[in-house]
Amino acid sequence: MADNSIKIFTGNSHPELAKLVARRIGLELGKVNVLKYSNQETSVTIGESVRDEDVFIIQSGCGEINDNLMELLIMINACKTASARRITAVIPCFPYARQDKKDKSRAPITAKLTANMLTVAGADHVITMDLHASQIQGFFNIPVDNLYCEPSMIKYIRTCIPEWTNAIIVSPDAGGAKRATSIADRLNLDFALIHKERKKANEVSRMVLVGDVRGKIAILVDDMADTCGTLGLAAKTLVENGAEKVYAIVAHGILSGKAIKVINESVIEKMVVTNTIPHDEKMSICPKIDIIDISATLGEAIRRTHNGESVSYLFSNVPE
Amino acid sequence: MRNTQVFAGSSHPELTSLVSRRLGIPVADANLKKFSNRETSVEICTSVRNQDIFIIQSGSAAINDNLIELSIMIQACRMGSAKRITAVLPYFPYCKQSKRKGRTCITAKLVANMLAVAGVDHIITMDLHASQMQGFFQRPVDNLYAEPTIAKWITQNVPNWQNGVVVSKNAGGAKRVTSLADALRLDFALIHKDRSRSGPQGLNRPYSGMPSSQSDGTVRSLVTRVSNVENDETEEGVEESGEDAMSVSLSSLNEMSAAVSVVADTDGEESTITLVGDVVGKVVFLTDDIIDGCQSFLDAANHMVKKCGAEKVYIIATHGVLSGDSVNQIAACDSVYKLVVTNTFPLPEEKKLACPKLTVIDISNTLAEAIRRTHNGESVSYLFHNAD
Repeated sequence: MADNSIKIFTGNSHPELAKLVARRIGLELGKVNVLKYSNQETSVTIGESVRDEDVFIIQSGCGEINDNLMELLIMINACKTASARRITAVIPCFPYARQDKKDKSRAPITAKLTANMLTVAGADHVITMDLHASQIQGFFNIPVDNLYCEPSMIKYIRTCIPEWTNAIIVSPDAGGAKRATSIADRLNLDFALIHKERKKANEVSRMVLVGDVRGKIAILVDDMADTCGTLGLAAKTLVENGAEKVYAIVAHGILSGKAIKVINESVIEKMVVTNTIPHDEKMSICPKIDIIDISATLGEAIRRTHNGESVSYLFSNVPE
Repeated sequence: MRNTQVFAGSSHPELTSLVSRRLGIPVADANLKKFSNRETSVEICTSVRNQDIFIIQSGSAAINDNLIELSIMIQACRMGSAKRITAVLPYFPYCKQSKRKGRTCITAKLVANMLAVAGVDHIITMDLHASQMQGFFQRPVDNLYAEPTIAKWITQNVPNWQNGVVVSKNAGGAKRVTSLADALRLDFALIHKDRSRSGPQGLNRPYSGMPSSQSDGTVRSLVTRVSNVENDETEEGVEESGEDAMSVSLSSLNEMSAAVSVVADTDGEESTITLVGDVVGKVVFLTDDIIDGCQSFLDAANHMVKKCGAEKVYIIATHGVLSGDSVNQIAACDSVYKLVVTNTFPLPEEKKLACPKLTVIDISNTLAEAIRRTHNGESVSYLFHNAD
């Protein structure tokens, strides 16, 4: 009996990343046919046996996010009913992660709903990356491994930003202060923070820089960049306060809406994102985008999970 | 309020009686005791059939006993055919353990599951450590804020509060604190504590978030650091008058060499703390959601008063857990002007007396109003921004 076999599948959200991960592990992606009926329903056919296999399904939450989520749920369920031994959902960018609290009255906690749906579909384990809030791990009743882009980001700063020793790490909002300080500490750099002040209900919020960036290379760090409005304004504020150059490093570059336009017109020198989300099209229209490949971290996490080895090494190191 | 019973756990009778007085109904009769083998025993002494039940239980020094007692009371009411059971937890037990670090447990989630299994239908709580914890429950959670009450207290009781600045004790609390700063329309700063920088590598790299004349090399920063340590020791040993301390800090500020403090942790490890932002000549509201051990608060207060030229430091926290010797340490620290907490967490009388700087704000109105509105099916959102 083959009790030590592993199968990796992917949906349509981010096949390039899945291929990189599979190559890292030294496997081919499993055969799966994911398509849509003419009435837009998703149909999944798993093309090879998964009976008693350790199944990993890589699907990122990006682009057509609901379709991708549905694909993932159906694939998990298909493997479950096909007697897979264990099913791990590998979700580099967790969908709906920003809707994680009742920040307004009557707001739904959609991240929790997503977690419930994954569990009900039959996932036994979840691997994800840079959750918007690490409390989301508590939304699941199954184990969740939250990996960090931080080691890869630090490596990037050290190798690709030549003036990094004269840099200062800046968080574009108060909520990200912890993430930014952690990177600043690892690099032994200074830290500043931008605070969006809301003085009156209908007044346009003002950006206040807390800290000193004069004559420095400012590196904006955040977990997510969507329309980039905040990043653009933050970069402007930094330059007005005397920063020499502004880099932005973001784990999940969703870059939807007018983001590309904002980046192109902003003073941001380079917009660095990871490949938890595909960026090929955007790269061609925005020369400022630079990509950090995190497939090694994901691949290593899958290998270690499969072999029952500790994953904590990956929290502070980039695998070779 | 018809068909309503308010029960009180044994953790915080004072708060419960305030809430029940405000609601205008007496605390319902329940017999809470412990068997000699220390098992908790609960007897509900009044009918709860088809009634709307509220059980108020905070944490206290015996937090596990409180939690089990609450679970048993919920279950007892459930078995007694209550229509709806709402647990009112002014301080949510284990709320600091809300995420995983390495192989730790998300105990807050376990507590949520325990309450759900016991049979609770609704949770009312206050200033959760992380608001994401509402997602740990499958049931509705109303997370109330003490902020409106605290903001009101500041505007009514702090002379010259317009000259204040709200400071977060650490980077993680920055978000919580900015909302108080916005409510009061004050500036905001934050204390950054860094362990790694005090190591051998950190010594060689000055933290240049401080004024620029300081970045002239290794030797200088080393000297500054040592002198800081000495400075701390003398100031702790010899009690200087407030004015002297002030002039010392201001003069050292002029020399622009005073933006770092080196502090020792409980485990003896050294860290450096720096202030990001500006507090010179201002009234500082050093704010966090919970104050338990107070060393980090005192380090921050000392740093701001003695090194950064702050005028006064108010420590403000919603949940005053203040375990161990905290109140005495705060009473003895001359950098702290006042300690302000709310009465979500019970403080024993002797601790209150031990610290003349301590002020306890009453938030029973907010809790009572939330109970009344929940019972009547009215919106609770008004309470998120308004006191009373």
